[in-house]
Amino acid sequence: MRSYRALIRATAKAALAYRFSLLLGLGAVLVQLVALLAVWRVILAESTVNGFTWPQMRAYLLVAFAAGTVVSLLGDFRMAFRILDGDVALDLVKPIDYQKARFAEAVGGLWIELILIGVVVGATLALTGGVDTPAAPALALFVTSMLLLVPLKFLIVYVSTLTCFWTQNYMGVQWARLAVVNLLSGALIPLAYLPGWLAAVAQWSPFAGLTSTPALIFLGRVDGRHALQLVAVQLGWVVVLWFGARLVWRAGLRRLTVNGG
Amino acid sequence: MRTVRLYLRLLGAHFRSLLEYEADFVILVVATVLMQVVNIVFLAALFAKVPALNGWTFWSVLMMFGAVALAEGVGSLFFDGMWSLAWQINRGELDYFLVRPYPVALQSSSAKIGVNGLSNIVMGIIMIGTGLAHVDIAWTPWRVLLGALLLISSVVIKLSINLATNAVSFWLSSPTPLFAFAMHQVGDLARFPLSIYPIALKAALGAVLPFAFISFFPVAYLLDTGQSRWIGLLTPLVAAYCAVAAAVIFKRGMRRYESAGN
Repeated sequence: MRSYRALIRATAKAALAYRFSLLLGLGAVLVQLVALLAVWRVILAESTVNGFTWPQMRAYLLVAFAAGTVVSLLGDFRMAFRILDGDVALDLVKPIDYQKARFAEAVGGLWIELILIGVVVGATLALTGGVDTPAAPALALFVTSMLLLVPLKFLIVYVSTLTCFWTQNYMGVQWARLAVVNLLSGALIPLAYLPGWLAAVAQWSPFAGLTSTPALIFLGRVDGRHALQLVAVQLGWVVVLWFGARLVWRAGLRRLTVNGG
Repeated sequence: MRTVRLYLRLLGAHFRSLLEYEADFVILVVATVLMQVVNIVFLAALFAKVPALNGWTFWSVLMMFGAVALAEGVGSLFFDGMWSLAWQINRGELDYFLVRPYPVALQSSSAKIGVNGLSNIVMGIIMIGTGLAHVDIAWTPWRVLLGALLLISSVVIKLSINLATNAVSFWLSSPTPLFAFAMHQVGDLARFPLSIYPIALKAALGAVLPFAFISFFPVAYLLDTGQSRWIGLLTPLVAAYCAVAAAVIFKRGMRRYESAGN
């Protein structure tokens, strides 16, 4: 445990050094926030659609932005390059668990992401007006859901990065992941707008936990039982992916060839 | 003519080396197609619930998305090397380019090939084509010609912005084109009708970095929709202006270039 805490601290200190990759990721999410805010402001000025009002949609998009920003510093790029270069061999000789170590790094970078979220959310609220916060029980559930989002997002990024053991084309895999996550998490458009079958698939996929679940709870669009069920699905996926990732890692290691030294 | 022939040969070399890695090629193509499909699903889902966005229908917005995809695709497939300019400057690799009898900007832009551009071009053409097939346009030879001119101008604008923003690396000596990339992302805003944005963004996208001329204004003119349809006619002029500006910025930057010194 001590070594992981040290890793968290080390990444927290080094976080500013990775601001480039952070800004790269943030830019896309920020542009999407601005574009979607503009789109929905125009649409919802006329009438509510699917029961969403303009303040609700604004809150939804802000949650989506926050969800899109956490665990983006992690430097999945760094991990990918280490696998592609073979530097991962050095990680293997360290007496710590690889997956836990990477998760510790993701946690260490959170503070700078939270600051960025605070700035953007604050600016948006100042420019477009406030949002209603839910009552205490729902708020507690929302916070739980946001906390679960951290390991969930980490694991999805982690597993997709492990594909570097099989392919050189890291960019392609990441683009595909971003596209799928963007749609199925509800970040691009609330799942209620998707065709029924697609919404159902998305709802039960691990991706719904990356935006839809916390956002719907925050808006109060799902109540008690249903909300608990959504968070349980989120938790279930965290457990499944945590152990699933270990299988992928083991399979990947068998493919690893490192030349020279 | 010789310039074009040489350019294609330079790119061809990269293309052949790329085909060595077949699986990588397939992954990249699948990923880019997926990204555009997600965009289309998003638009379809949105417009299934609302008839129009500020007067713009599904088909017109689809064409704007398509125009951006097409322009981006041409940029990646034929001029992807521009995105390495920052690296080339930082590492002093421009030295090699300077001693060869071929325009430096073109050597730089042909230094890489982005196969993802291929699928973006195809998807862009499909999106624009489907959009055009579903809207009412009285096609005359003159209009066809104008449409083609607008399309070419739109691509030229995107390429010029790419070159200009990447040439900023001559001043910022970072090895990564952060500025250019940020501007590229801002350009994604222009996939939606400009009329939905607040005035400051309208000015930024319409005048400062004229991304809106890649998609919105040409489509608005062709479809004869919106309040400022005639502005689309300026697209070729804007393209010429952007191209000249990019060339000037690149030339200026070249004067600042100092080798890495070994």
